[in-house]
Amino acid sequence: MSFGEYVVSRWGTLSLAAAEHALVVAIAIALASVIGIGIGVLGHGSPRVREGSIAASAAILTVPSLALLTLLIPLTGLGWGSTLIALTAYAFLPIIRNTVTGLRGLDAATVEAGRGMGLSRPRLLLRVQLPLAWPLILTGIRISTQMAIGIAAIAAFVDGPGLGNQIFEGLSRLGSVNSLNATLAGTLGIVVIAVLFDLFFAAVRHLTTPRGLRVRVRP
Amino acid sequence: MFESDRDAEGVRIELRALTKHYPGRPAPAVDNVTMDIPAGELVVFVGPSGCGKTTTMKMINRLVEPTSGEIRIGGRDVLSLNPDELRRHIGYAIQQVGLFPHLTVAQNIGLVPKLLGWPQPRIAARVEELLALVHLEPSDFHDRYPRQLSGGQQQRVGVARALAADPPVMLMDEPFGATDPITREHLQNEFVRLQKQLRKTIIFVTHDFEEAIKLGDRIAVLREGSHIAQYDTPAAILDRPADDYVAGFIGQDATLKRLALLRVTDVPATEPLPDPRLPQIAADASLREALDLMLAHGTDKCSSTAGVLSYATLCAAVGNRSREELVAGDR
Repeated sequence: MSFGEYVVSRWGTLSLAAAEHALVVAIAIALASVIGIGIGVLGHGSPRVREGSIAASAAILTVPSLALLTLLIPLTGLGWGSTLIALTAYAFLPIIRNTVTGLRGLDAATVEAGRGMGLSRPRLLLRVQLPLAWPLILTGIRISTQMAIGIAAIAAFVDGPGLGNQIFEGLSRLGSVNSLNATLAGTLGIVVIAVLFDLFFAAVRHLTTPRGLRVRVRP
Repeated sequence: MFESDRDAEGVRIELRALTKHYPGRPAPAVDNVTMDIPAGELVVFVGPSGCGKTTTMKMINRLVEPTSGEIRIGGRDVLSLNPDELRRHIGYAIQQVGLFPHLTVAQNIGLVPKLLGWPQPRIAARVEELLALVHLEPSDFHDRYPRQLSGGQQQRVGVARALAADPPVMLMDEPFGATDPITREHLQNEFVRLQKQLRKTIIFVTHDFEEAIKLGDRIAVLREGSHIAQYDTPAAILDRPADDYVAGFIGQDATLKRLALLRVTDVPATEPLPDPRLPQIAADASLREALDLMLAHGTDKCSSTAGVLSYATLCAAVGNRSREELVAGDR
């Protein structure tokens, strides 16, 4: 069976796996963004939170994904739970770091003017600091997403959702019928998902970056 | 001070034994400053960098919290008010301007009125009014973003933003500092004109004594720890500097600087009718410019629409000093 025939004949399984793959990544990134931006906001004002959270999220990244997933089995079992937790944990570092960098990198005069005009700290954060730091925060989310898409393939190891199953299945039966096609389909599927996510983020970036930050600097 | 902000003329500011001591520093940044700033006057804090002038100013809107002392604006104790609420009623303009780059010019200016809950049509009208006031064509600049403005235009928007809610009090920290000399001179002239109209109580911080003379109703010359070396009108400080420190700040050409304070129309004309044969000067030019014109033409008279001005009148105006002394100062 050629690769094309394989994809057509397994379309149902493949598309479901791809959808699950995208979904588990999307949920993990959403969680990591909400928590990570929150920690980043706290961290930009407090050196202890900042250093602690960045060190912790960097430490998580050094744990091999296979090891982390295995360690999670006794706690959250097989399947979605462990996958989500692992992906979320891996996604923190770029998001926290970019949030902190984005907020700390703002022009001090802008923040001082805002305070001097009587913007309360929460309002200053929501109306001025976060919108201005947003392009950088979004870049962090984008990097985390690309990472998570790759790592999600390993989740098949703990019976998680996604295209990893195709890859593992193919590898375990290497040499038998369709084993190469399965591996190839899983891998290409992941590449397609990664490209689609990236296109999505390019669109989001364009739509959510304040216009004042996109305009040409004065002639 | 808060109820009648609309078209608010200035109110009096009183500083009493105001002190800021940063922990871990041997000496206080601001040491026991007591000062009255009369309603509707522009008082310039002038002094070298690090003398505490900006810190003193920032305690008034509580961007810096005083260690001890008292601040009253229009009789109200500032330290008992909510700081954010307080700041919405004090205009604030700084050297780096700090416009919000993601908001349009109109949104930048309208921000404080919006915080104060003004209805939208009133905010829109106010923005138009202010843009016209700072000489930016409303239809042209309304929807621009700060990055599309030149430095001078940004400074104007900064001043307009500080004026937005018509606060009785304004704090300005070298608001024209970051512009080139020509733009700066232009902005200063416009600001003088504006303040004549508005009569806000303004505290203006600068390290440029020329600027202080030009803008200030009064000048506070400050030394280390924000100690007041002299607090008086520009003319009085130029005429009678309190000590060598103040004299050093004025520089060697005090008389010329005093000439710069006076207009041609401030002194009596030698002859009431203009003389077309003499070098011509504008009636609202300063005596310094008149002297410059006389020196350039080698005459001892010049003429404006207000009549003929003589060198002798000019000397008399700055206190009967000798011709030699006056000319010597020009070096």
